[in-house]
Amino acid sequence: MTATNDQALPVDFDEDYPKTGTLSISEERALQDGTHLITLNMGPQHPSTHGVLRVILKLDGEVIVDCDPVIGYLHRGVEKLGESHRYAQIIPWTDRTDYVAAPLNNLGCALAIEKLCGVEAPERAQYWRVIMAELSRIASHLVWLGTHALDIGALSMSLYCFRERELILDIFEAFCGARLTTNMMEIGGFSRPIPEKLPGMIREFLKIFPDRQREYSDLLDANPIWMARTKGVGVISPEAALSYGLTGACLRGSGINYDIRKAEPYLVYDRLDFEVPLGTHGDVFDRYLVRMEEMRQAIKLITQALDYIEKDDSPLMAYESAYVIPPHKGTMTTAEDMQRHFVWVIKGFSPPVGEAYVGIEHSKGELGYYFVSDGTSLPYRFRVRSPDFVNLGVLPHLAQGAMLADVVALIGTIDIVLGSVDR
Amino acid sequence: MPSASPTGALRWPIFAGNTQRFARAMAIERTREPERTHLGVSDATNSDTQTGASAPLPAEINPWARSQYFVDDVEQHPAVRVLRETLPEAIVDVVRFRNETTIHVAPSDLRAVAAVLREHDRATFNVLTDITAVDMLRLRPNPRFDVVVQLYSLKNRVRLRLKAGVNDGERVPSLVPLWNGANWLEREVYDMFGIVFDDHPNMRRILLADDWDEGFPLRKDYPLRGWKEFPTYNTERTIGRVRTRWTGRGV
Repeated sequence: MTATNDQALPVDFDEDYPKTGTLSISEERALQDGTHLITLNMGPQHPSTHGVLRVILKLDGEVIVDCDPVIGYLHRGVEKLGESHRYAQIIPWTDRTDYVAAPLNNLGCALAIEKLCGVEAPERAQYWRVIMAELSRIASHLVWLGTHALDIGALSMSLYCFRERELILDIFEAFCGARLTTNMMEIGGFSRPIPEKLPGMIREFLKIFPDRQREYSDLLDANPIWMARTKGVGVISPEAALSYGLTGACLRGSGINYDIRKAEPYLVYDRLDFEVPLGTHGDVFDRYLVRMEEMRQAIKLITQALDYIEKDDSPLMAYESAYVIPPHKGTMTTAEDMQRHFVWVIKGFSPPVGEAYVGIEHSKGELGYYFVSDGTSLPYRFRVRSPDFVNLGVLPHLAQGAMLADVVALIGTIDIVLGSVDR
Repeated sequence: MPSASPTGALRWPIFAGNTQRFARAMAIERTREPERTHLGVSDATNSDTQTGASAPLPAEINPWARSQYFVDDVEQHPAVRVLRETLPEAIVDVVRFRNETTIHVAPSDLRAVAAVLREHDRATFNVLTDITAVDMLRLRPNPRFDVVVQLYSLKNRVRLRLKAGVNDGERVPSLVPLWNGANWLEREVYDMFGIVFDDHPNMRRILLADDWDEGFPLRKDYPLRGWKEFPTYNTERTIGRVRTRWTGRGV
């Protein structure tokens, strides 16, 4: 068919209406009215959604009118599984929720179970927990920085950050045998001794990392492209941040000083000296600066804790408690400990009837574990209050009125890991 | 654990039966020292204590001081005092365990209670930490669910838990008008338990598929592996057949 536009128009042709390209006039007029919104599916498989996140966007040109995140593609029913597994068996499940910061997940779960049972880990174990938690925080922020910068376009940042993360994963592997799914925090402390080479490895890392982080700062802090893509983008006002229940860098980037390590100190954070960075504008750039500074403060914390505890030789586990696994040596030699070990592993310990909620300062915000116990060895209810899940709820609010190209920046700045969002 | 009255009657509405086990647990609790919220936290730090060289006598303690949130007598708890003054009929029970306070409220008053606690100028519970639910089917028949709201006060640095007991089919007022963060949290409660929230702008499933028709997974009568079969694919290369696996009654 060789008919031209002039011949087969379905609507009246307005003399003053400009003709452009191959777009038919009726469609173009409809776009002018703003009634033709494009529904764009940023599907669950997408390199910039940091996992299986689906975002359904309604676009008016390039401006987002509506944003509907769809989650649940990685829902594995961790809370339901927690009701049919013993308390010690739940800790490996927590590795897999936020898989870039597994020690922090383990820490929250172990602290919640310890609170429910009334167990206090000894001081040396508390310091080592702080060291591992802060290393995990740095590792998580490195993943965030690498992927966030990658999405925005600074491609080399991803390789730099993962290069440093390899050092941390080597430390985890030396400590507990696994790089990613560490399962390292046990109820009561640590049952295995600290490896001899571990303080040395951590000192090496502490020597290398500050300079490397300075490289990242030099690359991005004053970079005009970075600033153009992140300054003024995704502004969260302090009132909105509190209303949406945001925690972590999303809240502190808007200026609200809420860090659980300072507000309700757990482990030995009240004895260590560190600062909490706060942003002013609440945009993507401020949250970037907050997380970069959190990495530097984490280095400070690890240095202090290691200085204090490196030469220490005191017990690592609260063996006197009935809820804690018996010592390995006793299990192998004495009959009583072997019997206790058998019962502890096969049947599990029964915490007192009651409930406990523990919130820790995870790299992404407040990670909370809520246990309800009915006196048996299986929890009656296991609830993970994951920071990403709540933080992701602010995405529709941020995306309204933003440009399409900003969506990846917004998803990156909220800092989500879909394992933790979906559980 | 509930504080024991002299007659030994339990004050915790959750456990209607099986008092022997809990009596023993209560006996264990009575011998313990008062616990801290977290290891290392100092209960004495607050900005409201009166200055003075010596520790103030009990009569002089500021009733709104942070330490008052952790005393054993729950009637001294500032949030409880606020609610007794403003919404006394909303409180069903108050429980203290492990230095945490839980206020059981009537479900129809949930939003009012949360609003009062948020707007009060001394007990400013302005952070909504979590909304979840517990299916109490195995512990007490009525009410079946407990909707659990975790609140946090930035100013006082204390946590509080509100619980509202609802039955299957009862609706709970939504906290979305107070906090936008309640939106997704309540959607998850609906998705997992089937508890519907009134005035929620977007009451639909969030984690499971929109057309998931098998029920509400976190209920106690929902088996771990679900109700339906799921296919397991040919691993032993039996030709031409997709073997399905019967789920049975779950764990």
